[in-house]
Formats: sequence, structure tokens, C-alpha cells
Amino acid sequence: MKEKLIVILFAIYIFAFSILGIVLPKDIYSYNERRKLKEFPSLTLDNTYVNKLDAYLLDHFPYRDFFRSIKANFNYKVLAQLDNNKIVIKDEYIFKLNYPTNQKSIENYKKNIKKLLENFTENNKVYMVIIPDKNYYLKDDNLLKLDYNYLEKELTKLDINYIDIKNLLNLEDFYKTDTHWRQERLMKIVQELNKQMNIPYEEQDFKENVYSSFYGVYYGESAINKKPDTLIYLNNSLLDSLKVTYLENPKLTTIYNLDKLKSKDSYEVFLDGASSFIEIINENSLTEKELVVFRDSFGSSIAPLLTPYYKKITLIDNRYIDSNHFLEKIIFKDQDILFLNSTLLINESYTLKG
Amino acid sequence: MVFSSVLFIYYFLPIVIIFYFIVPSKFKNFVLLLFSLIFYFLGEPKYVIILISSCLINYYLSKLLGKSKQRKIVLFVAISYNVIQLLVFKYIDFFITNLNNLFNLEYPLTYIIMPIGISFFTFQNLGYIIDVYLKKHEPSNRLIDYMTYICLFPQLIAGPIVRYIDIERDLKNRSNSYAKISRGIKRFVIGLSKKVLIANVLGEFVKLIITETVLASWIKPILFTLQIYFDFSGYSDMAIGLGYIFGFHFKENFNYPLIANSITDFWRRWHISLSSWFKDYVYIPLGGSRVNKFKWFRNLFIVWFLTGFWHGANWNFILWGLYFFVILVIEKLFLHKYLDKTKVIKYIYTLFIVMLSFLIFSTDSISNILLELKNMFFISKIPFSDNVIIYYLRSYMVNIIVSIICSTPLISKIANKLKEGRLKKLYIFIEPLIYLGLLILSTAFLIDASFNPFLYFRF
Repeated sequence: MKEKLIVILFAIYIFAFSILGIVLPKDIYSYNERRKLKEFPSLTLDNTYVNKLDAYLLDHFPYRDFFRSIKANFNYKVLAQLDNNKIVIKDEYIFKLNYPTNQKSIENYKKNIKKLLENFTENNKVYMVIIPDKNYYLKDDNLLKLDYNYLEKELTKLDINYIDIKNLLNLEDFYKTDTHWRQERLMKIVQELNKQMNIPYEEQDFKENVYSSFYGVYYGESAINKKPDTLIYLNNSLLDSLKVTYLENPKLTTIYNLDKLKSKDSYEVFLDGASSFIEIINENSLTEKELVVFRDSFGSSIAPLLTPYYKKITLIDNRYIDSNHFLEKIIFKDQDILFLNSTLLINESYTLKG
Repeated sequence: MVFSSVLFIYYFLPIVIIFYFIVPSKFKNFVLLLFSLIFYFLGEPKYVIILISSCLINYYLSKLLGKSKQRKIVLFVAISYNVIQLLVFKYIDFFITNLNNLFNLEYPLTYIIMPIGISFFTFQNLGYIIDVYLKKHEPSNRLIDYMTYICLFPQLIAGPIVRYIDIERDLKNRSNSYAKISRGIKRFVIGLSKKVLIANVLGEFVKLIITETVLASWIKPILFTLQIYFDFSGYSDMAIGLGYIFGFHFKENFNYPLIANSITDFWRRWHISLSSWFKDYVYIPLGGSRVNKFKWFRNLFIVWFLTGFWHGANWNFILWGLYFFVILVIEKLFLHKYLDKTKVIKYIYTLFIVMLSFLIFSTDSISNILLELKNMFFISKIPFSDNVIIYYLRSYMVNIIVSIICSTPLISKIANKLKEGRLKKLYIFIEPLIYLGLLILSTAFLIDASFNPFLYFRF
């Protein structure tokens, strides 16, 4: 009786998943993991085929996300592991271990900046901001973290005006399920930047637009059921009047791409997400100054808040464009230059193009 | 293809099972052979020809051995063929490299890729030929049966090394029952869980230790010892379980080696099919221990040199084998009687010696072995500990405790008590759910991770 029960139970379970694996429609993209799923491999006569086939089957296993959540919950709750695939969950916030400190990457980042400095004139004032990732604000000394002191010490060796913002931020300034900072909490950073860059600060009135179903990049990676974040983007008539030009998306002319709110990554609402070269012109600016920002995705949400003060802001994400190409589009004269990158990028800087 | 893969568990195995159970008995070996060749082909498309030719040559040589009057010559030819095949595919570049280094030569390397499982199927072929020569059994009369014996996918690529005499009856006539299949399923799931839930997780931990500290240098070989035990014994459990599903009875390959009370005892419990093979086909024919002391130690030296060399074409494996030779000689000369008098020390001693052995086993060069030893024994100027090792020790503490418990017979004893005790009736319903839960959990771990190499596939 017991033996029969085991055989029947396993036969039903295994055959059910085999059949479901064959008949269920296949996704092309995993929104939770932010990656393209494997395609069925074409037959090759080498010993890699079986691995490719297994990778395909793993990617398209029925109820894959459910199985991932079983593993994550088991790791956290039964095995009491501190992280699952480097994801740490603490006080409703999801973090990802950003460790170890990659000294070579920091050197590479410095080298990259030094190369860019060669293109600037004496009239260009150059500033640098290091945005700490949210692990910096996690109050847990046992967690593996970057050596932020080392990173700061190394980067401040560069001959650039350093604007220290780390003590102005706290954990609440970041999304719970995402890597990024919250736009609506960045006025203090704008104020500090203006102060250090000698730009008069003037309080702005913004309307808060709320999107309450923001599932950040860590949400999918964690495979744990958590409440979504609320994404707020700030707007007013001035921001509406800006003339925005995107290199990759010339049809878009606004500072926010609202279509992206319901896309795989709602954070891309800010300046259309990954864009290599953006120009923002403000005909009603408070100064006649121009600003060039070398930035990563953190720059997308703060840039709109800087627009009232500058006649023109140029945003360059040199992960997607190299200097040969952007130098065709910009002439450095007397603009303010701001290097605005997060420690996440600085510690993984090999994506930067020369 | 590995057993601990979605491809195997959810696609290959169900297809084999369907065909196996719908065909009449006389075609069952053919079905198993066909799918075993497909199994091998999927992993090593080009080398399936080596596997088939090896089976054919050994099969016909064994037939010749049964009839020929020149039996010694046939035996010599058969052994030479198998040994040369192994030398060419597994050791040729090792010899060329060492000859080049020794005599300052520049012979080019062949870069031949080793056919997967060649050490296992060559040893099965050799054992079979020698047994036919020694008339322990008759040569097989059916090529399909013989090829099924050698190619049977449950034990083809990572053992256990099955002797023909042990499954001869099963090959010719075997029955299937719910009891056997259910036993096979349970054993397979235990093996899968050992591999996926314990060995892979410990391996993940070892990979994460990136800083050099004294504590890390101890933790690494301890974890590797546990990892290789669960990896290899898990594979053997899956092979034995699959055997049961298809009506075969394979002998046990592990018997809780980490609770051994001496190295002699350890080798009675670790990779039993390999140590039995060397004992039966090398050690005993050389005279075993029933010779003078010098010859006895010579015999031990040969066996342990070969055991080490069997594991890989690298000096660290030879050193690993000779390390056991030295320890076993010391035990046989005097240590054994002292160990017998202790209650706890003998276990600590065994674990320590085994752990050091796996440090040698897992480190690719002698200079790195020396470096690791310096780190362990405070000779290198490295810190005792750091936040990395402390973090991961804390994070993996439950895994480590569970793996230590599972390396002892404790769980098995508890399960047996439950089966026989007052909870017997409840256990009937709980047991299938436990095994199903383990399969679901293992699947979840497989889906979540791509880290899944079997350690014993390189042999």
C-alpha cells in the first residue's frame, strides 16, 4: 500500500511537470529576473548541447518563479542564511551585497575620469559626487559591505572638487525594492550641489505624481513576496516646458516617459531609462549656466530637479557612448561638469566606455 | 547529462520509464542499452564510438577467453587494450608534460579530451575479463546483456564500479515490483538531496571564501571533505536508486565514511567499489598481506599509487594516494593498537587525516598544498580571521550543522525508529510527503542555481 502510494505520487508529480513543461506557452523574457530567457538550442554535435538544453529547460520550467520563491524562503527561514543569491532582506528593505571592494575597478574609474578631463577647458569647473549605494545606510556591521572609506579616499585623489553627500542621505531616501534613490527626497541633495557649485538655490513647487505598483529590480531577484514601492515623480509647469532631446529616442521630447511606468522597470520613467546622450533646454532658467553631467541611472531622477537652475543640461551616460561619439555632439567651453555616479557603478566600472 | 538536472529528472527518466515498462521482458535490456547510449551520446557525442567499441572488443575477447587454449595471451591482449585505451585518453598529456620537463624536451601535447566515465567503464571491462579468466563466471552469451552491463546509464559515468557477477542474475532475469520501484525512488531522492541541497550549497560556500585567513584555510578543507562526500555518495545513491527502479541490485558504495575510526576503516567505507576492485584485481594477485613485510608494503605502495593515479593525471592525486599508503603503513605497523585503546581520539585523528587528504586532493599543485598548510598552521603571516569568513560561517551555519548530522547514521536511525514505533501508521502517510518535499525542494534549488558540476566526473 505505502509503496504503491509513493510510486503513484511520484509518477503523477514528475509526469505532470514534464507535460506542463512541454505544453505551457514559453515566455521570452523574465520580468522578475530582468533578463531574456534561453531559446531552444539547435542541435550541435558537441558536449555543450546537453548543458544548453538543460539551461533552456530550467529557464522555462513550469511555475519557475514559484520554485525560486520556495528556495528563497527555505534559505531565509529554515537555513537562516543571511543572504540568498546575495540578496539581503532587512526591515522591509531589499539589499544586494556589493562586495568585495574592487580596487582594479576603482582604478579603472579614475583612469576613465582622467581621460575625460583632457577634453575640458580651463573654464570648465569640474565636480564629483559619489552616491553611496543603500547598503551604506544599512545598520548592520556584520554585513559584507564595500570599503567606502577606501573608495572615497582613492577618488578624492583626483584633482576635482568633491561634493560629499553621504551624510545627507539615509535609508528612507531609497526605494525598498530597488537600487535607486527616491526623487521626491532629493531636494536636499540639489540644495547641497547648488551650494557647492555656487548656484543660487530657490525652492520649487512640485506636484507629486504617485505610481503605487513599482516593483524594483531587487524585488524579482529576491523571489520573495513583498509589497511594491510607491514611485513618485515630481512635475510642474516648468518641467513640462523643457525641451528634451534623446539620442536613442528622438520622438520623445518630455522629461518623463510615462509609458515606462508600467514597463518592466518603472524607474525608467525618469529620462526614459538607459539613454546615452540627452540634452535638456530650459528657456526660463534661473541662471545662464550650462551643466554637463556624466552619470548613471541615479542621475536620471535627480536631473529633472536641477533643470530650473541651468539653461542647458547635457547628460552623458558613458556606459553607452564613448568619447569619440559624444565629442562630436558637445564642445566644452565654460560649462560646469559634474561626475555623478553611484558606488555600484564605480565598483563595476568596466562597463564604462573610453 | 547529470542526474541532478531538470533534463534528466523531468524528461529523460520519464521517457525511459515509459518505454521500459511497456516493452516485454525480453526487450527490456535493449531499451536500457538504447537509452544508455543516448544518455552517453548527449554528454559525449563523439566518444560514444569509444564506448561501443570498448564493449564489443571486450565482449569478443571474453568469448575467446572462454574457448581459447592460449588464455594467458588473450588475457594479456585484453588487459593491454584496456590499459592502453585509458593511458591514451586520460594520461598521455601527463606523461608528455613530465617527460618534457624531465629531459628538457618539447614534444607537443595531444590535448585529447577524456571521454566521460572512461575510468569507470574501463575498470568494469577489466574486472569482467579477469573474472572470466579466473573462471569466476562464464562469459556473457548475449552481446546486448554485456553492453547493457557496461553502458547502464545509472552507473556508466560515475560508478559505482559494478562487478558482472553481482548483477549477472538481474541482467538475465529480473522482476519489478512497487516495493522495488518505491525503494528506488526514495534512494534516488535521498541522493539528489545530498547532491543539490548539501554538496552544491557547501561548494557555493567554498567558492565564496575569497580572503586568506587561518580560519578560512581550515574551513575550506573541512567543507570540501563534506562536499565531496555528499557529492559522490549522493551520486552513488542516485545510481543505486535508479538500479532498483529498473530491477537491479547494485552494492553499496559508501557506508558513513566520516564516522570511521581509522584510515583502514575509512577505506572500508569510502568508494567501496573502487577499493574492492583494487583489492581483488591488484592487491590480492600481488600476494596481499600474506607475503613478507617488504612485499606487503610494496603491494600496498602499488595499490595506493594506482588509486591516486586513477583519480586524475596530476601529481597531487599521486601524492594523495601515497599519503594514504604512508598512513596505512603506520597504522598497520603500530598506530592501530594505540588507536583502538582510545574512545574519541581515533575519530578526531581519522577526520583530521581525511581532511588533510582532501586538501591535497583539491589543490592543483604541490606548491599550493604547501601554501595552504602554511596558512593552516600559522606559518604564513595572515590574519586569524576576517569579516568575510565570519559572515559566511554565520550564514551557512545551519547548512554545516545539517551536513555534519547527515554524514552520520543519526537520521537513518530516527527514521527506522519512527517506522517501527507508535507513529508507524502516521509515518506511512508522512514518508511519501517527505520524499516529495525533498524532490520539490531540490528542483527549486536546481532552478535557482546554475552551479551544478559533479566532482567525480573528471575521473
